[in-house]
This record gives sequence, C-alpha cells and structure tokens, in this order.
Amino acid sequence: MAYKPQFYPGSTSVGINRRKHMSGNLEKLRDIPEADVTAIMGHRAPGADYSSTHPPLKEMGEPDCPVRQIVAPTAGAAAGDRVRYSQWTDSMYFAPSIPYWRSYWGAINCKGCDPGTLSGRQIIEARERDIEAYTKAQYDSEMTDVALCSMRGCTVHGHSLRLEENGMQFDMLARTEMGADGNVYATKDQVGIPLDKKINLGKPMTEAEAKKRTTIFRADGIPMCGAVGARKYDEAVEALHHMWELRSKWGFRPE
Amino acid sequence: MVTESDTASIQVEIVPSRFLMPATAQKLLNEIYGNGGITRIMVQGPNLPRSVPYGPGRGAPIDENRELLIEVGGQAFELCVKVGRIRLELESDKYFSGLKAACERALPISFQIKKGKFFHTRRTITDYAKFGNEEDTRILGLIDPKAKKSKMAILSEERVTIDDEER
Repeated sequence: MAYKPQFYPGSTSVGINRRKHMSGNLEKLRDIPEADVTAIMGHRAPGADYSSTHPPLKEMGEPDCPVRQIVAPTAGAAAGDRVRYSQWTDSMYFAPSIPYWRSYWGAINCKGCDPGTLSGRQIIEARERDIEAYTKAQYDSEMTDVALCSMRGCTVHGHSLRLEENGMQFDMLARTEMGADGNVYATKDQVGIPLDKKINLGKPMTEAEAKKRTTIFRADGIPMCGAVGARKYDEAVEALHHMWELRSKWGFRPE
Repeated sequence: MVTESDTASIQVEIVPSRFLMPATAQKLLNEIYGNGGITRIMVQGPNLPRSVPYGPGRGAPIDENRELLIEVGGQAFELCVKVGRIRLELESDKYFSGLKAACERALPISFQIKKGKFFHTRRTITDYAKFGNEEDTRILGLIDPKAKKSKMAILSEERVTIDDEER
C-alpha cells in the first residue's frame, strides 16, 4: 500500500484546514494576473528581465554529481535567477493562514524555497521566477483572504492588532484599501512604493467564511481541545501531549 | 466602611473592538465633548507616518495618512494616530452614564468602557525632561514617553496648540 502522509491530527475544521494547507490540496478562490503579483512583489517591473547571479546551469557545465543528476533544478535555478522574497502578514482575527502553516505549505510543496517563520509574519525566499509562482499560488488559493492577509516586505505589524472598522487588517503604510465597490485594491507594493495602477484583489471573505477556512485555534472560534464539554479531547491535543512527552523524555539525560 | 465620594474625579478608558476611521473618531470625540465634564482626554493608537519610515521605499509619501483633519468642539486638529483607545478624566461620576450613552450613539461597533486609574500622578524622569518643572499636573500621562514633544497636541477651551519645537 502506498504511503499516504497524514500531516496533522484532529477532526476539528481547523485540523482539517491545516491538513489541506500542508498537503497543498487547496481550493482556488481567485485569479490574480501574474503581472499584478509581480508588481505587488516589487522586485522587478512586470515584463522586465530577471536579474541573475550566475549563468544558466546548462552553460556553466556542472560537475559530475549523482545528486545533481537525480534532482532536476527549478526553473529559477536553471536560469540562474537572483534569490528574492515575499513576506506575508496574516491577522490573528481568523486569517485563513498563519506563519507556521505558510511555512509548512512552502517547505512541503515548494521546491527550492527557504521559508522563515516569525511570530507575526512569514517570509519565503526562492529564485525569482520560482517565488513569483509560489506567491501567485498563495494569492490565488484559500490560504489568503485579501482583507486579513497582505504582503508586507517592511513595516509588517498588523497581525496582532485590532482590525479596522471596515474589516481590513491594520496597515501603517496603507498598502491595500477597501474600495467603494466592496473590492480590496492593492495600491502599493510590499515595501510601500505606490503602484502605477490600483490592482483589484477581489472581495474579502465574510467573517463566517474566514472562520470556516481559518487554521487558527481560538477560544472564541474553534478551540484546540475540540468541542467544549466533549468527553474526550480532540486528537490534535492528544498528539501534542504525546510529542511533548517524548520530547521531554528525549531531552532528559540522567548522568 | 469607606464611602466613595461621588464628587471626586474619575478616570475612564474606552476601547472600541476595532480601530476607528477618522470620521467615526470625530463623531465619538464630539459626542464625548458634548457630554461635558472632561478634565483631560488622551487619544491613543498606532502611529500613522506621513512617509515610509524604513526599508527600500523609505521616504515615499503615504497620502492616505496626510491631512486627517478632524474637528472637535469647533476646533480642527490633525490626527496622527489610528484611534484605538481613549482615556479621559471626568470631573465626577455623574458624567459617566452620559459618556457611556455617547459611545453607544457614536460607535457602530462594540466597545469596552471601564473606570480605573489610567494617568500617572508622579512626575517621571521623562516628564521632567520633556516639560521641566511643569506646575500643571494634568499633563502627566497624556503623552507617550517615547514620542517627541512635537507630536503632542493640547486642546483647551481657548485654543489648540501643537508644539512644533524640535528637541
């Protein structure tokens, strides 16, 4: 029987969503053009050449290495692109994804990337044409709600602040705005430089939908222990206790 | 048993469940002002810089944060923060119920309102460095210790002053 990864325990909606994020089996909610994603990332103008750090691998003549023969390089690595980043801030008010789950998604599903997890933001570094594809995948999928998540290269705070009155995550640099038509527009790139045109990111999720799709356990949403008053804790807590116990014992070394 | 005086001043904190838009902040402050009995008031929230403070886009203007003028009690002043919390001192407890009603009228979202002690009473080193031997102790607790003096706006019955002096 073929091995099927289990990814994450638990039968709560958050547990199920976490499994979805890690497996990469995500629903596509919107389609933001590649050029617009490139513009929001702000590393190069849409249509411009990719800057490179080395010649294409084919021209370089690689050493005779069995690992290099087994592993096919990503498009960006083959072309010798520079390493670039995209960084996300997700609100703790039921954003669909959170830093750890963006990182799990990246580490499991994205080849040749380097995810970095911080308390309120998450960064992925990869070769430029690869990171563009990964960022577009994040933007288009249910990992992202355009009101509660945004790409922020600097001045990233917003994760743990209250939302604005219109339901947007607070952004000191005002990189996104809620339009009069109910759509969210990106007006600046991820470091706060104004874009040539506003980019329509579509409508944000309703509060109920965000709670349905979130990967955040919260006492006022889905608690980690599962249903309140249930006889048994959810498997997520049992697995956590199990890991905690093994880790503690492994770390305990009586001389 | 100690009976609390109902004529002593009280301090109140209002925390809306979301950050307020300038228009809502103006409406709320006007309602609070209309209720009367305010000895002093402080508006607190995250800073709204006029330009990108750091990173590759440093210095790029943030037009959305400029000229956020609000008018309170007939006086206009520029909002430098996203209003997230209001602390004030009332002359006596009799204004509290009116204040709560004012918040309910002005805020379209839920909020917390509580009495407590929110302004410090003894001068700190920072206060001394900023104001010197200021006689008026009402100024204590009205300003973020890390903020520059130029960031402080004082509203009084007579005038609004924004001290532009750079330290």
